[in-house]
Amino acid sequence: MLDNLVFLAAPITACIMLAGILSYFGNHILSRGIIFIDIALAQIAALGTMIGLLLGFAEESLSVQIISYAFTLIIIALFALTKFKKQVIPQEAIIGIIYCLGLGLAMLLAERIPGGSNFITKTITGNVLWVTWKNVLSCFILFAIIAIIHLFFQKAFIRISGSNDGLPYSPGKTRLFELLFYITFGIVIVKAVPVGGVFLVFTLLIAPTATATLFTQKWRARFIWSWIIGVLGSFSGIYLSYSMNISNGPAIVCLLGLIAFLLAFLKLSAKKFRFLKHNNKN
Amino acid sequence: MFTALNFMLAPFVACLLLILIMVYFGIHVIEREIIFIDIALAQIAAFGSAVSLVLQEMNIVHHNQGGEHDSRTFMAYLFCTLAASIFTVLKDKKIKIPLEAIIGIAYAAAATGAVIILDKGAGGDVHIHDMLAGAILWVSWPQNLRFLVVVVVVGSFHYIFRHKFLGLTKHYQSEETVVSNPKLWDFLFYFSFGIVIVEAVNVGGILTIFAFLIIPASISALFSQNWSSRILIGLIVGGIATILGLYLSWIMDIPSSPAIILFLGLCLLVSLLLKLFHFSKT
Repeated sequence: MLDNLVFLAAPITACIMLAGILSYFGNHILSRGIIFIDIALAQIAALGTMIGLLLGFAEESLSVQIISYAFTLIIIALFALTKFKKQVIPQEAIIGIIYCLGLGLAMLLAERIPGGSNFITKTITGNVLWVTWKNVLSCFILFAIIAIIHLFFQKAFIRISGSNDGLPYSPGKTRLFELLFYITFGIVIVKAVPVGGVFLVFTLLIAPTATATLFTQKWRARFIWSWIIGVLGSFSGIYLSYSMNISNGPAIVCLLGLIAFLLAFLKLSAKKFRFLKHNNKN
Repeated sequence: MFTALNFMLAPFVACLLLILIMVYFGIHVIEREIIFIDIALAQIAAFGSAVSLVLQEMNIVHHNQGGEHDSRTFMAYLFCTLAASIFTVLKDKKIKIPLEAIIGIAYAAAATGAVIILDKGAGGDVHIHDMLAGAILWVSWPQNLRFLVVVVVVGSFHYIFRHKFLGLTKHYQSEETVVSNPKLWDFLFYFSFGIVIVEAVNVGGILTIFAFLIIPASISALFSQNWSSRILIGLIVGGIATILGLYLSWIMDIPSSPAIILFLGLCLLVSLLLKLFHFSKT
């Protein structure tokens, strides 16, 4: 058992870290109703990597990473700045269009790069089991910096996410906060997706906060509960994958997804639980 | 030139059929802000096919060459129906999270669930890529005919009960309902949409379908609020993009679906510029 723990220590640490930062962002994402933004961003980052490769840089070289980050940040900045009071096309539809065009372009480029179609699917699976301590450390430093930025501006971010039309301040000021929010989010996604894979990142982002939001609407309680659900879910998912010999990312995703669905149905069907709901609200 | 026309006629007809039904559903989907339901339903249907494959491996279902395809289609439909009922039931005032989040979790769980039951997906990457890209160029006339039947059946069903479906979508975000028995009509909406998706993905691949669903309907939202003129605008834009995309893919020898998608994106850009120009003039 001790050997296994040593072997699993890095993946578990990585998962807990991912759960920590992603469950936090998930609350904002859910309140804004832009659920699929991380999948679109991951696609754009992959497209950036492919363009870097096409320009002749080596895979995982610094130049490719810079191109990938630059691409993602430009797109997300455009997204942050195109929020209007009267939204003709919902933001989620814009996300859909970004995803679609990104994937379409990637497919065209894939023809030109040997083994190019791998890059389209590579981001989908990820493999948290083979994460190195060096990678864990660099993630930790990056996430810590972003966490501090968010701690600093948390009131403004919460006010923007919580307001109905998303523009509580003057347009200029809101745009500035939005830019900061989305750029930090973009950095987290570009860093997290190669570690965990698109689906693990997506689920850690949405499922814990969705489960928490079923029972409480308060920001503080939502943060705390989604952290608890996210961390416990990743932990038991890894244990499950180990004991049942299935891949760990999918195990966590399915576990968290099942929990969210079960609790949603429970919430719907249980009139008897009303007193419990009442307690949670207070 | 004649051979080109001959060769391109079947894909072109298939694209027009796809656009016709997808623009209509696209307006519904954008108004309801459940953009990614199409990808989720396609993934759930694929999960159904995977389950039927595993059942055959275990010899639970007796299989022969003809029956294999039938049982896969049957399972795909079964899972779609299941998903349709879940989405219907979980759209409830008591559930405080957007339906898009539930759709997202279902999508992630179905995608990773398929990976788990297909035993870590040997060759799963290839399958994902094929399902994404599709092969609209190789569509046959019998396939076209089959899809035409689906479009006619589902289309006339929606046309006959248009007041129900339009009323449901119009008041989707608000608490009130104008339609009697909203749950039943909601279920019928998702169910018929599921049928169209399963059949459409066989013809055109997930990504093409998604582009036809979102982009023409978004363009039409810029110019009109009226349903029939929106469908007409979408059809015209989609038709133009299809002709240009197929032509370009013919002369430049590039994959056709990405080419069509990029032209759709170009159309969106042009319409945005037109809209801006129009705004600044008035």
